[in-house]
Amino acid sequence: MPLAPKPESALFIVGHGSTENPDSSTPYFDHADEIRRRGLFKEVHCCFWKEEPSFREAWYLTDCQEIYVVPDFISEGYFTQDIIPREFGLTGPTSDIRGKTFHYCQPVGVHASMTGLLLRRAREVAPGIDPASTTLVITGHGTGLNQNSTKAIRDQVDLIAASGAGYAKVTDAYMEEQPFIARWDELAPTGNVVVVPFFISDGAHSYQDIPVLLGIEPEVGLAASQREIFRHNPHHLRGKTLFYSSAIGTERHLADVILDQVADFDARRALATA
Amino acid sequence: MSILQFLSDSLRNGVHRIGQIEIQTNDSIDQIQLVHVDDIPLAAQPDQGGLKVHRDPEAARDLSTFSEDGEYRFTKGQTNLRRGWLMELSSLDELRRALDLFYPAALGLLAAQKEGRLEIEHLRDKLNRQTGMYRFARTISDAGAQQLVREVCGPAHQCAKRILWQLDATTSLEDSDASRYSGIPGDIVESEAFPLLCREACNHFVAECRKVSKAEADRAKA
Ligand code: SF4
Repeated sequence: MPLAPKPESALFIVGHGSTENPDSSTPYFDHADEIRRRGLFKEVHCCFWKEEPSFREAWYLTDCQEIYVVPDFISEGYFTQDIIPREFGLTGPTSDIRGKTFHYCQPVGVHASMTGLLLRRAREVAPGIDPASTTLVITGHGTGLNQNSTKAIRDQVDLIAASGAGYAKVTDAYMEEQPFIARWDELAPTGNVVVVPFFISDGAHSYQDIPVLLGIEPEVGLAASQREIFRHNPHHLRGKTLFYSSAIGTERHLADVILDQVADFDARRALATA
Repeated sequence: MSILQFLSDSLRNGVHRIGQIEIQTNDSIDQIQLVHVDDIPLAAQPDQGGLKVHRDPEAARDLSTFSEDGEYRFTKGQTNLRRGWLMELSSLDELRRALDLFYPAALGLLAAQKEGRLEIEHLRDKLNRQTGMYRFARTISDAGAQQLVREVCGPAHQCAKRILWQLDATTSLEDSDASRYSGIPGDIVESEAFPLLCREACNHFVAECRKVSKAEADRAKA
């Protein structure tokens, strides 16, 4: 359902940011831009953990009394459950903070509409390739530290498998836990393999580490060539045809998922107060 | 007072500078030019001195991401803003968006300060809530932190912000060029510029605290 305009409210898109890699926050600004163009909110701002404006300064960014906060994060976890609430001073789904009302939405990565986004990206990166002869691999970091990001990916894999998109196989794979992305060729029974990284931005993982694990790059390469990684599809490797996508969060339509999370928040709130 | 109101009142009262950016507007604030202070003479030439003209406020993000020598400016108060551009905007709202990208939250902090609503965060509070590898930053000595302000902050170290925080609620910063700095780089009377405010130590400062903490711990062990 399209989001009804909120001409008196602000939207805060919340990201991690980086003190080393400016590309890391680019998708957040792109999503903000896209949403601003649609004129649904009075103000749209980004704020970051590692860049400016900081979470603590976000309160000062807006003239609006009502603010929707959407974590542009891939899963529930330490950041969405501990850091963001603490830094903003949130006390629940809706918090009054020094005269302003903050609505805390769920992170983009756990929304069901991510499934459509992943499928679209998979089709775009391998145009004209028949899903019936293709394995789709959704890949993430995967560590013991954040079980939730692994769960978010597994949920998407299940949703894609149930979606009728027709892929011969859909699987998750990780940099640091089973099943390992480095063994993508063993995971795939088909000749064609599409790999989509489940990250918000193209950081070192998606343009350096994973390409090395896939075998596209011999070693962790130079940052200068980062964009090239995604331009050289397909890769003929290990007897298969491999299509490698940029991070799912760089997809322009992620803006829709941000809006979906706002709409879902309102729907849950309406239910709770009904 | 809203941020927009604060901005328009300030411009009408003769403010025309923020950080390294000169703001030139007409009376009705619907023709606005932003330019690097060092490019003001170029902008006045008939062909605008060959400066590259931008009309989209969002271009401010790209213009402020890297310094001239390619350094990533993750702290936007740095006095190494790139030159060579000119931004033409046509509304107060566009101006605010551009300035929020050049100097994130700067206007909002000033508007809040004017109304007595700005909450300062002292260094100890900031350090005590660091996590992960930055947790170690909290053990820095007072003397080490005071010294760091001199070595990291202020225009001598490329930061244009006025420090509002103390070590903690009762320990103010020792007097130095950095602790005393106005937040207004360049040569301009204070009433004509928006100062840049530092209401909490930046991530760069925290990272430096961590290094000093480690060195202090190593010295204690030696
Ligand atoms: S902590 Fe120091 S260096 Fe960092 S922004 Fe503030 S004044 Fe500048």
